[in-house]
Amino acid sequence: MYRVQDEVSLLRASLEGETEAWGEMISRYKDAVFGLCLGFLRNRADAEDVTHDAFIRAYVNLRRYNLEKRFSTWLFTIAANLCRNRLRYRRNHPVAELPDEIHGGADPATIVARDDRHAGVREALTRLPYGYRAPLVLRFYNDLSYREIADVLAIPEGTVKTRIHRGKAMLKECMEERDPS
Amino acid sequence: MIRSKCAAAAGGVILVLLAIGTAACAEVSVSDFAEAFESIPVSDLGRFIAAAELGLSQADFPASQTLQLIGRLAATAHSPQEKEALLLNIVIAMEDGLPVDGLVTKGLEGLARAVSVPLIEQSLHQRLILIAETRDLLYAKGIFSVEPGSPQSVPTALPTPRFNLLVSHISDTLADYLEGGGSPFEGETLCQEVRFRLTSLEGATLVAADVDLVLKRVEPADLTRVALSAVT
Amino acid sequence: MRTEDIEGILRDTLRQEVTEATDGLLGLEERIAAELGERRPRLRISDWLRLLLAPTRAGRIGQLSVVGATAAICLLVGVFVASQFGLDRTSSGIRLTPSQNADGTQEILFVLPALNADDVSVVGTFNAWEPTALSDEDDDGIWTASIPLPPGRYEYAFIIDGRWWGQDPLADEYVRSYGEYSSVRYVGGGDGA
Repeated sequence: MYRVQDEVSLLRASLEGETEAWGEMISRYKDAVFGLCLGFLRNRADAEDVTHDAFIRAYVNLRRYNLEKRFSTWLFTIAANLCRNRLRYRRNHPVAELPDEIHGGADPATIVARDDRHAGVREALTRLPYGYRAPLVLRFYNDLSYREIADVLAIPEGTVKTRIHRGKAMLKECMEERDPS
Repeated sequence: MIRSKCAAAAGGVILVLLAIGTAACAEVSVSDFAEAFESIPVSDLGRFIAAAELGLSQADFPASQTLQLIGRLAATAHSPQEKEALLLNIVIAMEDGLPVDGLVTKGLEGLARAVSVPLIEQSLHQRLILIAETRDLLYAKGIFSVEPGSPQSVPTALPTPRFNLLVSHISDTLADYLEGGGSPFEGETLCQEVRFRLTSLEGATLVAADVDLVLKRVEPADLTRVALSAVT
Repeated sequence: MRTEDIEGILRDTLRQEVTEATDGLLGLEERIAAELGERRPRLRISDWLRLLLAPTRAGRIGQLSVVGATAAICLLVGVFVASQFGLDRTSSGIRLTPSQNADGTQEILFVLPALNADDVSVVGTFNAWEPTALSDEDDDGIWTASIPLPPGRYEYAFIIDGRWWGQDPLADEYVRSYGEYSSVRYVGGGDGA
């Protein structure tokens, strides 16, 4: 979407300490990173935190970025690792109920009349194990290729394909359970 | 290295233990185990030695660590009967061709934490049941083990070391969960715990395809059944 | 329901979720700019952890947060460590990974702030629960040891002057064992959870 040279200039400026250049990079990528985090973590507050942390960490590590790789892949890898750590932290520090957790139930604060199928998918997605959910999000929200997903999650490309295939089947099962029609 | 507090022991025992210590760094043999069992001493030496032979014939048998366990156990101030009861769990596992890694490391941990031998025995006994039931579960789900080098009869036949790793990790997860106070009836949670453990080890010690095979076929009710077998 | 339907619904749903939550991202650029301030992208070192930059060490250090029974200090630092031969790179561009040895093991760093301790060691499944000593050569209260480990899962605990301490802040997870806490680290492998 953006010209690569343009991005390289922004990154160079960021490396020289121009935080406004970095601000421009954030603007371009924040939806993508946030969507990844929200999909992975299924919790809005956590997703906001991790999105913030991801951009901080990326900036501090900028001189490690290898220009041979797509910047987005590198950034998503940072975000995915932070999400994984957040999930591990949550496992060891469980809270009775996560606020803002995404469920399929009716939310009176939401103005949009939600299609019941969307509610079903949200619930199903939250219930999917992380290992199956993460590749689905990267594929169907971030539109990454199997190769890129494999890089971001550090799993073999073959596993990515299997997980996506099975993940879709699990979603389907979950939704059909909920609404057999 | 193996310590010995047997002040009344003849010099010969000390030498034997030194030999075991050295052997632990080199290759371990049946006679090392024989000497170690004698230092407990166990009442049914023949059975224990036969089990050790079986164990040593398995490629993934943790020989050195098992010897260390026996040696450290021998040095504790408990009755030979109690020590033998603890080791019997490992012997039964060896006799049945079940993976013993989890039992041995738990035993070593218990001794290091100065837990009483009868309590360690209890923990190992529960784990042994879980290991055996887990293997039966995988077989019931059509996942088998074959000796490495044998032709794979079906795609779900895994080389024994890979199969054993799955059994070890699944049963270890269930054991940790139950020992932590979890209920065997929480099948969904058991499933999540097993999923987490197995997927965390993909690419490290577990093959991704093996993990997928298990996760596809094993269900919450299965794990509840396995867990119940250990607590009832 | 057809699989193509699932893909379409999934795409829509994910987009919709983000759209609904997007107001949380307003002002993100400003907040980050404020936090970064004058900072240039370079290594950020805290005095407490200067030890970790000793030339022979390379390790995985993420966020360090320490609350100890003996230390009433909360230490929150992000530290990134480079080996003397350059930064760790993998095919994915950036990875806070331990350095790899020729035999396939990875150098795993064990770190424990333990002020006033005389003796700190680590015990676990990687050393048959027999203590491996940590050292604090410059006496700043930060004890470390670097242990080469093959890929796998390792349970362990620290022993500080004879007392067991099972909750390593750098651990991936904690388990209960014989009624006490142990720490767990995963070395190598996938990121499923």
